[in-house]
Amino acid sequence: MRKMSQLKRILDKGDLAVTAECGPPKGADPEAIFKKAELLRGKVDAINVTDNQTATVRMSSLAACGLLISAGLDPVLQVVVRDRNRIALQSDILGASAMGIRNVLCLSGDHQSFGNQPQTMGVFDLDSIQLIQVVKTMRDEGTIWGGEPLTKSPELFIGAVANPFADPLEFRPVRLAKKIRAGADFIQTQCVYNLDRFEEWMNMARERGLTEQVNILAGVTPLKSSGMARYMKNNVSGIDIPDKFIKRMEEIPKNRQRETGINICVDTIQRLKEIQGIRGFHIMAIEWEEAVGEIVERAGLLPRPSFDQD
Amino acid sequence: MITAEQKPIDEIREMIAPYKRILALGCGSCVAECAAGGEKETAMLASTLRMAAKIDGRDILIHEKTVDRQCVKDFILPLDDIIDQYDAVLSLGCGAGVQAVAEMFPAAPIIPALNTEFIGETRDQGYWVENCVGCGDCMLYDFGGICPLTRCSKHLLNGPCGGSRDGKCEVDPEVPCAWQLIIERLSKFNALDRLENIYQPKDWSMKQGLGPRNIIREDQQR
Amino acid sequence: MNEKHKQKLALFYCERTPKSSEQDKQSLEQKYGKSIRLFPIPCGGRIEPLQILRALEEFADAAYIIACPKGKCRYFEGNLRAKKRVQRAQEIIKSIGLEGERLGIVMNEHAKSLARQAEEIMRSISHLCPSPVLSPHR
Repeated sequence: MRKMSQLKRILDKGDLAVTAECGPPKGADPEAIFKKAELLRGKVDAINVTDNQTATVRMSSLAACGLLISAGLDPVLQVVVRDRNRIALQSDILGASAMGIRNVLCLSGDHQSFGNQPQTMGVFDLDSIQLIQVVKTMRDEGTIWGGEPLTKSPELFIGAVANPFADPLEFRPVRLAKKIRAGADFIQTQCVYNLDRFEEWMNMARERGLTEQVNILAGVTPLKSSGMARYMKNNVSGIDIPDKFIKRMEEIPKNRQRETGINICVDTIQRLKEIQGIRGFHIMAIEWEEAVGEIVERAGLLPRPSFDQD
Repeated sequence: MITAEQKPIDEIREMIAPYKRILALGCGSCVAECAAGGEKETAMLASTLRMAAKIDGRDILIHEKTVDRQCVKDFILPLDDIIDQYDAVLSLGCGAGVQAVAEMFPAAPIIPALNTEFIGETRDQGYWVENCVGCGDCMLYDFGGICPLTRCSKHLLNGPCGGSRDGKCEVDPEVPCAWQLIIERLSKFNALDRLENIYQPKDWSMKQGLGPRNIIREDQQR
Repeated sequence: MNEKHKQKLALFYCERTPKSSEQDKQSLEQKYGKSIRLFPIPCGGRIEPLQILRALEEFADAAYIIACPKGKCRYFEGNLRAKKRVQRAQEIIKSIGLEGERLGIVMNEHAKSLARQAEEIMRSISHLCPSPVLSPHR
């Protein structure tokens, strides 16, 4: 059984870490996960598995992470608070650790009205910050929320998300500070295109000393097409794509748009490397996992360190 | 106040179909305020249903009566004198009123004419909006008088989430982000640092209760 | 049916409608007989949807309101509120299968006399069949 999170190991050493995202299938076929996993093996340090993203029913993140463990990979279990109460959440945390999952990312989750079960009740028993606190309590104090002791504490590297592009900007560092105080060990940000705004946020975080207290991994997403760029800009809240990138994508013929998208992504990573306080990158190549390998290679992030299994 | 809206007329017609002598019972309180079940609305619904029955060639008697408040036992007791004249009561009260009447007169079939919706305020003429979910443990002081449980779509206590955009909620661009409002309000009071506090998981047992919640006050009893 | 059905109109009119004195009212009643029932009101805005619904329920094939044009209401907005109330009442009667045109409101833009308006409204509803509320098909 894996003793320590790969991601944690690399970050503790002070090296840049790389993670990527993998969405489970809308079905019961494990092969879908294994296929994506093979595209990412050796290219990243840990693989995030999303949790019913966009409130759309998919194979559970916990199960998909279990499959990744069986394939010898290091998953990051994403947990949203939308679908489960505190009993189920703590139960899943214990199960995750028991299966060898060593990373968990705590999120609110998209509202249930976004997905394919809009009539369901959104649970939100805990919010994401309270969940971080609960996981930390389980890990460090060996109890569930409320103090009852666990027979064995879970071992988990705790992550949270940050969105430097959501409103209100001035309050975002306060929220980041709260997540750190609640127990976050690492942060993955929403994907960055607007470097000016991102730097502004990083400056505010640095001023508060937060960049020293937590590992910030900057999120990046390669644009597949001009249509995708425009869709994301207009329809997805919390994503800020400056017009110059849309223009650039639109000016390229369709068959070369993917290449341009990857170029922009690699450029962004290179610029992010210069920002003090960035400890790594989280590549969200939605339904385009093949691109991750190329991005990582061209950004000079290969080879990824490997560790012997303990 | 409690708000409600009239059920679609077809649904009401279907429910009253088996009955010939109906008492349309209005309520002068909350549902009158939101123009759903007051004296006027009761008269309008009764007239509409009588016309519908005539169109169908059906014989039906619908009388109208409005009490001050359907959810108070003492206000509905006097109905005892007249209730036997009818074979059903069409109540335009909120769910509380409908059930109070049903409890008082268990022999009379009772039909709800309204769908009860939320606790809210009359923010403007013809505009009612939810602002309380009855959590049983009010935290309005902490949040500058803006309830995050009601007005944040994810009822976060440590918001905002990443979906707040231009001060609006991700679920609907017309819905203000409650956390944006809270931050602005607390900033005005110079109390924004209150939000550095991590608010703890809510005790939902105060909202869910063990069975229907109740309040007992002996000093108020006879 | 040999005799052409005579429409019965309930007409509520703002007191400020030109040539709508008591005398004018009486001569109209003489002219139209049972076909028209006239109800003077202090302002178009005083009409409740209930009144026009009850008119349809009890005796009228159609119920109309004459209100003052935009900007001319002596109570400022009474005429606009009347319009909204009539719209609401129209939604209600449509929901039970009656034609929306059985109800209506005229914002007397050209300051026509009561008699003139009455004539025009009677013409505009002449195509309506007898109200099924008053004479249900057997």
